[in-house]
Amino acid sequence: MSSPEPVMRKIPIAKAMAEAIGQEMATDPSVLVMGEDIAKLGGVFGTTTGLLDRFGPERVRDTPISETAFIGAAVGLAASGMKPVVELMFVDFFGVCMDAIYNLAAKQCYFSGGQVTCPMVLMTSVGGGYGDAGQHSQCLYATFGHLPGMKVVIPSNAYDAKGLMLAAIRDPNPVIFMYHKALQGMGWLGTVKGSITDVPEDDYIVPIGKAKVVREGSDLTIVSLGAGVHQGLDAAKALAADGVKAEVIDLISIAPLDRETIRASVAKTGRLLVIDDDYLSYGIGAEVIASVCEDRALKLKAPPRRIAYPDIPVPFTPVMEHYVLPNAEKLLGEAKLIMETNA
Amino acid sequence: MSVGSNASQRLWMYAVMVKSRHFEALIKPAYFEGKTPVFNMAKGPLPGEMHLSDGQEPCAAGVCAHLRPGDTVMATHRPHHIAIAKGVDLDAMAAEIFGKATGLSGGRGGHMHLFDARVNFACSGIIAEGLGPAVGAALAAKMKGEDKVAVAFLGEGAANQGAFHEALNLASVWKVPVVFVIEDNAYGISVSKRDCTAVMRNSDRAAAYAMPGHHIAGNDPDAVYETAGLAIARARAGEGPSLIEIETIRLEGHFMGDAEGYRPEGEVDRLKEKDPIPKYRERLLAEGFDVADLEAAEAQAKSEVEQAFAAARAADYPDPKEAFDHVFA
Amino acid sequence: MTDILVQTGLWEDTDTAVIGSWLYSDGDVVQAGAVIAEIMVEKSSFELTAPASGILHIGAAEESEVAAGQVVGRIS
Repeated sequence: MSSPEPVMRKIPIAKAMAEAIGQEMATDPSVLVMGEDIAKLGGVFGTTTGLLDRFGPERVRDTPISETAFIGAAVGLAASGMKPVVELMFVDFFGVCMDAIYNLAAKQCYFSGGQVTCPMVLMTSVGGGYGDAGQHSQCLYATFGHLPGMKVVIPSNAYDAKGLMLAAIRDPNPVIFMYHKALQGMGWLGTVKGSITDVPEDDYIVPIGKAKVVREGSDLTIVSLGAGVHQGLDAAKALAADGVKAEVIDLISIAPLDRETIRASVAKTGRLLVIDDDYLSYGIGAEVIASVCEDRALKLKAPPRRIAYPDIPVPFTPVMEHYVLPNAEKLLGEAKLIMETNA
Repeated sequence: MSVGSNASQRLWMYAVMVKSRHFEALIKPAYFEGKTPVFNMAKGPLPGEMHLSDGQEPCAAGVCAHLRPGDTVMATHRPHHIAIAKGVDLDAMAAEIFGKATGLSGGRGGHMHLFDARVNFACSGIIAEGLGPAVGAALAAKMKGEDKVAVAFLGEGAANQGAFHEALNLASVWKVPVVFVIEDNAYGISVSKRDCTAVMRNSDRAAAYAMPGHHIAGNDPDAVYETAGLAIARARAGEGPSLIEIETIRLEGHFMGDAEGYRPEGEVDRLKEKDPIPKYRERLLAEGFDVADLEAAEAQAKSEVEQAFAAARAADYPDPKEAFDHVFA
Repeated sequence: MTDILVQTGLWEDTDTAVIGSWLYSDGDVVQAGAVIAEIMVEKSSFELTAPASGILHIGAAEESEVAAGQVVGRIS
């Protein structure tokens, strides 16, 4: 007798996140959630909708605009047997509270020799492309991925979002859960359709630290994360029309980075292209390419390439912002060049 | 009561409030252009966020009436009324908000990042971020022996941010000519002040930083003018910083598109009855100001705004490659 | 065949209601009670749920204006 089909319904990432947090709060009384505008409003980006009504103000807390204090408090809560889920409204605001994140949360386990862990989730919105200018449009994947002691994840779709959030809350380490604004499913901001996927109602995990091959191919490896995964899939479809079979990898985890999956793919295809929307220098592309090139066993058929946001502040005016943003067309252009090149 | 010795200042304040409100009144429909039938923040000539200042005009007018172009003002993500009162180039400001090449920074900054070096005005999208720079500008004036002052505007929510406490402490320790002005409009985004602030009045916090703290109720431009005058004179005289807290009102949502579900039923309608601009007009007339003068000021203010918007709409967008300019000097 | 009706009584007749987005495509299988579309009214959004399980047939397109009580699709 087979088990019943899991009930599936399509929901956007925002709902998937709120559902995961709610399900974990229902079974684990040590979980609480806090941040600016997350209680009554349900989060500016819908990440905590419905939680205040279900769990009350003790466990669902609107905070003052005091990131250093409440993120620091989350570190203390985590050290004291609680499991805080904290929202940093925009990743761009990390400047006012980074010490609590990278010097406290990320080093608690290490400095204590494992005596004290930090089971905390810091969820934060990333991404631009809708005119929110230089202090509200950044991604900062590399900034957070670069610093030791914290896990950093970013789902490209609702199925992964729920499973990652459940994994993150259960992880004894601090997990930075980035959600991309272009994929979130907010009514007032356009949403990439591909991010709205079937999500099981029940409990399941998407493991942190494992990348996914979301489209198989043998000619070219395209690596991306978040919104870039959808651009990669669009480009792969267009390339298929030209007879090029691109393999698309969704990193899912920035840290720990799944170098094995990336290397296995490039071993197969021999060609690598990375796309992300964080700043170029010292970024995701740099790390992925270095991880491949330093592998003595790997033979590349062409020099690897990366597309990223240039090293400039995000400009407000749309003609500039869209000129510099990575997109599927740029990806396609670069992919064609790689296919024509030989090492 | 006669028209009084600061009649011209009061008329100026009225005109600047009218100008500011008319600016916001033209921004609103422009913002919603292209964003219907479905509200998509990315669309239209004014993409992104928009934070309007309707109701808060007295704070800007009453303070900036005492300021010169050489004085520095740091404003917030809700900057239009302050920028206009400070004398920011209206055409370039409108063009910047429309993302045009003729904008204050050629479209790079947009509505939350307006800079006008001619009048030492800047604003920022990060809460309380302007306070440190205001302290620095004040220190520069002191070091150079100039009788300039710096004013940092902030919301009541920002008074719970670390930078606020550090900046006030530092301003006192260094005894610099800076005035901190809190526009208390009762809400952060959705969270009310009483739900997130340990004290009833942020002006009481001034005592913790050894500076005078003033509380002004009633969103009254004349009361703001009087108190700001004291604080700014104190600063110019080398006696150090002050904190002013003004109870004001926010007539629009936190940002355009805000469904405002967190406001109690009827609150916005009750607030509209307290609109400070018609109230000030009534007061000026009652105190003997000539209606012809008020109407002339209104007409002038509106025509300047209309002109700025027309120019902004007509201006070209910048060459996208210019996105790479000014990263470094 | 079950009609999918826009909810009534949730907003003023004078407000403009629009299909913000369909969460499923025409021809997808949907479960009764699943949220299948988002209706935007001014700045608020309302969830439209499937009245039955079955195959979705979309009537009103995204971004089209709809009225309370209007049939915007069917489930077969």
